Amino acid sequence: MSYTTIAFFIFVAVTVLAYYLFPVKKYKWTVLLAASYVFYFFTGFRYAFFILFTTISTWGAALMAERISRVSADCLKTHKKEWSREERKAHKKRTQRKMKLVLAAALVANLGILVFLKYYNFLAGGLNDLLGLAGLEFSAPLMKLFLPLGISFYTFQSMGYMIDVYRGNVEAEKNPLKFALFIAFFPQIIQGPIGSWEQLAHQLFTPHSPEFKRIQYGLELILWGYFKKLVIADRAVTAIQAVTADYTQYNGTAIGFTVLLYALQLYADFSAGIDISRGIAGMMGIDMADNFRRPYFSRSINEYWRRWHITLGAWMKNYLFYPLAMSPLFLNAGKRMKKSRLGQTSFGAHVAKVLPTSIASLIVFLMVGIWHGANGKYIAFGLWNGLIIMMSILLKPVFDKMTGLLRINRESGVYRTFQMVRTFIIVLIGYVFDIAPDFAGAMDMMRRTVTDAGLSVGMNQVLNTCGLLKADYLVLLAGMLIMLFVSVIQEKRSIDSIGGLFEGKPFILQWCAVFCCIMSIIVFGIYGPGYNPADFVYMQF
Amino acid sequence: MEELMEILEDLRPDVDFEEEKALIDGGILDSFDIISLIAELNEAFDIEIKPSELVPKNFNSAEAIWALVDRLQNE
Repeated sequence: MSYTTIAFFIFVAVTVLAYYLFPVKKYKWTVLLAASYVFYFFTGFRYAFFILFTTISTWGAALMAERISRVSADCLKTHKKEWSREERKAHKKRTQRKMKLVLAAALVANLGILVFLKYYNFLAGGLNDLLGLAGLEFSAPLMKLFLPLGISFYTFQSMGYMIDVYRGNVEAEKNPLKFALFIAFFPQIIQGPIGSWEQLAHQLFTPHSPEFKRIQYGLELILWGYFKKLVIADRAVTAIQAVTADYTQYNGTAIGFTVLLYALQLYADFSAGIDISRGIAGMMGIDMADNFRRPYFSRSINEYWRRWHITLGAWMKNYLFYPLAMSPLFLNAGKRMKKSRLGQTSFGAHVAKVLPTSIASLIVFLMVGIWHGANGKYIAFGLWNGLIIMMSILLKPVFDKMTGLLRINRESGVYRTFQMVRTFIIVLIGYVFDIAPDFAGAMDMMRRTVTDAGLSVGMNQVLNTCGLLKADYLVLLAGMLIMLFVSVIQEKRSIDSIGGLFEGKPFILQWCAVFCCIMSIIVFGIYGPGYNPADFVYMQF
Repeated sequence: MEELMEILEDLRPDVDFEEEKALIDGGILDSFDIISLIAELNEAFDIEIKPSELVPKNFNSAEAIWALVDRLQNE
């Protein structure tokens, strides 16, 4: 059931109505659970086993971990006076070991499924290449594997919950049906955002009554999402697909233009999906975490990753970066470097302080790259972003000195614009890995943008061989300018919601904007019979 | 507490740690600052801060950080 079908509109309308009309307040959440499973079965029923497995195994493991912790605490309390400090320590250690075992079992089982389905063929192919090089005849068989809908998102969400319970930061949910709703809540299942138990769960189970403002804000957000998806993203995708199908037919200018178009399409598509999801949840009184905060205005790659796919970044930070950077291996490495001869110089002391953490950050970006897909080009994408961040942190004293010597005012408009453009160019280079067929293709595409950049030939190719007419490009330009205009106002006034933009403004202005948005979607949207709407880019992740 | 204030001021001289109450929620300390701070705290106070302690309420102010250090020292 795609977001761009009539069936989906009807499904959402029925769900919202059923939710608000359900007579037993206490059990309103069961409507969301039923709707979520109906959505999942209709969208990909053959995958249901996997989401059920993750739900049941995580629910059970979390309860077990909590029980071990509780029994241990009771035991400690009982023997508080008779046990020595060492005995208490040993008891805590034993408890920790048991809990670690439960956590490890849940992580291995669930992440194992994800890794197997998503990366088996990639790993088997790599292994076969190695065996071939070693002259061995054995080869791992390649398999036709499918990816269950939303598997990355719901696996990450459930493992985040499991780790939170293990850490004692949240209580394990006793009701398996409530936990099932947290994992399968239909607005988040296609492409996130990856919710945390602490932020999302209580909202799902609290009965909400209809509020005009919430429903209005939700509908406006949905409308804005459809504008970005149908008017911009699904139009731009035609040209991107034409060029990336065989980029060797295009010159550097056309390739560079395609990368720019991809930046527009990817942001419009992904943020549209999130807006539609958040709008639907918002209509039912549920605030899902936001995933974007105008990322292309970022002044550094570090900032970009705090504003793009925010919930994935937060997940990686909480459950991978911190445990890694805080592990004895990394902390002791910093200590040793600090005490070494290098650590005695001012630059050396800085390196000792940030190098181990930078390496942990690089590993996280490598994982972010791998999360994006089973292909060497995604590893390069992750490393590109990670290395830029690593260098920017390691060389910070050098950059500080340079800007001081050049007497650059870091808060001036010119310098801020320079930083934004520089960051955007780094982001665009990362996107080349995304749209290229593979790593070698990405390198070749970059080479062409420098060595084969005939402007008139390139523009001729863009206008005549990419499947889009001049009128399409004009619509894209207008759409992009509207998005830019809205983003600039949001940025200046620190308003994250679309509905909030009209707060305190005349009623007529708001309805004019809504009317124009609806008309734009009807007139310029890509939909209707004979048109196969593009899946959301992050669907099937 | 004095030693903690010294560590904090050394880490980020640009922040007024006596007044600031939203070091994490306000995005004042980033993840690199947090890791540097933890390394210093672990060493200075002979404690072991675990990832489970990394919740905003433990790091939003100098007082909250001191309360965490105090608790871990007494555990």
